[in-house]
Amino acid sequence: MIPYRRTIISNTLAAVLLLTLSSPALALDVQSLIREIEQQYMGASSHANTTMQVRTAHWERTLEMEAWSLGRDYFLVRILEPAKERNVATLKRSRQVWNYLPKVDRIIKIPPSMMGGSWMGSHITNDDLVKANHIDEDYDLRLLDETATHYLIECLPKEEAAVVWGKIVYRIRKTPRVPEQVDYYDEELVRVRETHFDDVQQVGERIVPLQLTVLPLEKPDEMTVLRYRDLVYDLPLDETFFSLRNLKQR
Amino acid sequence: MLLTLAFRNLWRNQRRTLLTLSAMVISAALLILALGVFSGMFRDMLASATEQYYGHLVIAHPEYHLRRDLFAHLPDDIADQLALQREAEITGQSPRLRSFGLLSRPETSQPVELLGIIPELEQQVTSLQHQLTSGHYPSAKEHNGALIGQGLARKMKVKPGDELVFVTQAADGSIGNDLLIVSGIFATGDSRHDNNLVLAPLLWLQQVLVLPERIHEVAMVVADPMTAARIADRLATDLPEGVGILDWGDLLPEMREVIAAYDVSRMIVVAILYMATGLGILNTFFMSVMERTREFGILMAQGMRPWTVRGLVLLETLLLGCIALVIGVFCGAVMTLYMQQVGIDLSGYITPVTYAGGTILPRLHAVFEAGNFLVPAGMLLLISLFAGFLPANRAARLDPVVAVRDL
Repeated sequence: MIPYRRTIISNTLAAVLLLTLSSPALALDVQSLIREIEQQYMGASSHANTTMQVRTAHWERTLEMEAWSLGRDYFLVRILEPAKERNVATLKRSRQVWNYLPKVDRIIKIPPSMMGGSWMGSHITNDDLVKANHIDEDYDLRLLDETATHYLIECLPKEEAAVVWGKIVYRIRKTPRVPEQVDYYDEELVRVRETHFDDVQQVGERIVPLQLTVLPLEKPDEMTVLRYRDLVYDLPLDETFFSLRNLKQR
Repeated sequence: MLLTLAFRNLWRNQRRTLLTLSAMVISAALLILALGVFSGMFRDMLASATEQYYGHLVIAHPEYHLRRDLFAHLPDDIADQLALQREAEITGQSPRLRSFGLLSRPETSQPVELLGIIPELEQQVTSLQHQLTSGHYPSAKEHNGALIGQGLARKMKVKPGDELVFVTQAADGSIGNDLLIVSGIFATGDSRHDNNLVLAPLLWLQQVLVLPERIHEVAMVVADPMTAARIADRLATDLPEGVGILDWGDLLPEMREVIAAYDVSRMIVVAILYMATGLGILNTFFMSVMERTREFGILMAQGMRPWTVRGLVLLETLLLGCIALVIGVFCGAVMTLYMQQVGIDLSGYITPVTYAGGTILPRLHAVFEAGNFLVPAGMLLLISLFAGFLPANRAARLDPVVAVRDL
């Protein structure tokens, strides 16, 4: 557990440093700001029950899910409701994603060609699960604008990075330090998706938005809303929990 | 009288006339053969695309072809509703449901296109049952038997009897997934189908996609593919709202272009080859007219009008053209017949080539098509007249006083 505690301490230190240093006069470390934002849900480890509502032109459905995470690399989520899809599960280990399908009792690894595909029928893609936490590695970040209350940060893909977006723009509130909105642009730099963060709450020592809304802009009547409930941080989880065997377990 | 004279004149220098005649016959016959083989190649291409996958006519939601939208579906008894079985020209029809998803084994996953079909009906439209490399065509009894392409089978390392999982997004938003058992493996030579296509029972796919009693299209075949567009136009007038019909030309626009361009390229090929032949004819008749300067002079001195002289020479070339045409068309037809019946197998030297949505098979094989005879025949007569025109003009312009002195 020592390594984790060390990470927490260093994270906290970094956060404290950032908060104290983030006066306009001093250069902002955009990189760690984004990393902090992207990792806020996870902490060292986390557990949550989530509700995902997906609305499309043809159907609307609500999924109840249970999710675990460890650092930025490990992530396991299992469907609880509806009954038809109970125990359908997704495991992410670094940049790989597997799905477990209880109906046929098989684990399926998502091939690279399908990473852009929808995750569990939502407007979140498999790529989002994998890449979102690596924004600071795959993109060049710069401060676009700063107001009294907000930062606007632009992310442009690094030349060699295999990414799907042409540009990402973060709107981050200064206090509490939470994201408010993320805009995704395609390769032609047309804005194609918006993510909104709402319902900011105190969870343990963290302040996090508990609701995430994804709006695909080319389909105005469609959306995905993800709500976190019973969010708990810093559980005693390690890498062995995020195994293919555990993916199958019910 | 003029005709007899022209005919006799032709044979005054037998060797020269025969040489020219043989050049004309050979070029006409070879052209007819070559065009027959071209047509055979296009037929193969069209047949490969339609018999491997598309069919000649497709009934679907008007939007379906553009976006392959899962939700642009039709009731699965649409063919009965439209009373398509009463159309005598339609020789086969197959209802299909289509899904794009992931075909998976423990070690590998591949994105695939899966067609839900009714085996007895699908075999009326596509001919994959004749292109099996192992296993058998799924029978109606196998509720989850699948036919998969050879390239796909190789990538996934499966053989008949093996299990596969198909995963896709169902119409209710859930993750549609179920097991398939490989019944057979097909190889068409078209890599897009061999590497990507899976055929599975319609009922099975309707359950996976949660689209009971729905289909995306009815694929149909007609006796003569060239009439498909006309039949589509006729049927289109009776279709209800939300149902459209497409012919193979709409589904394979490149193929339609290629076949339409063939009419132009045929003219070009004919023109180039005949240009050479035409020069030969021109040469023959110039020689012939020069030799007969004195003769023409005498004829004109006796009162033959320049127009009659011109007509005489033109008649000679036209006669030669007609003779060449009869023999050439006959020889061409015989060779085409041979290539149609026997053909030449090239599979030892080249592999199938995919082009404009179809597959060019490694064989030379000819088909009979009226245009392949009419165009070379008509052009042969035209070129004869054209080549005769200059010598005829020269003969007609002779001054009898000068001409009779020519020796």
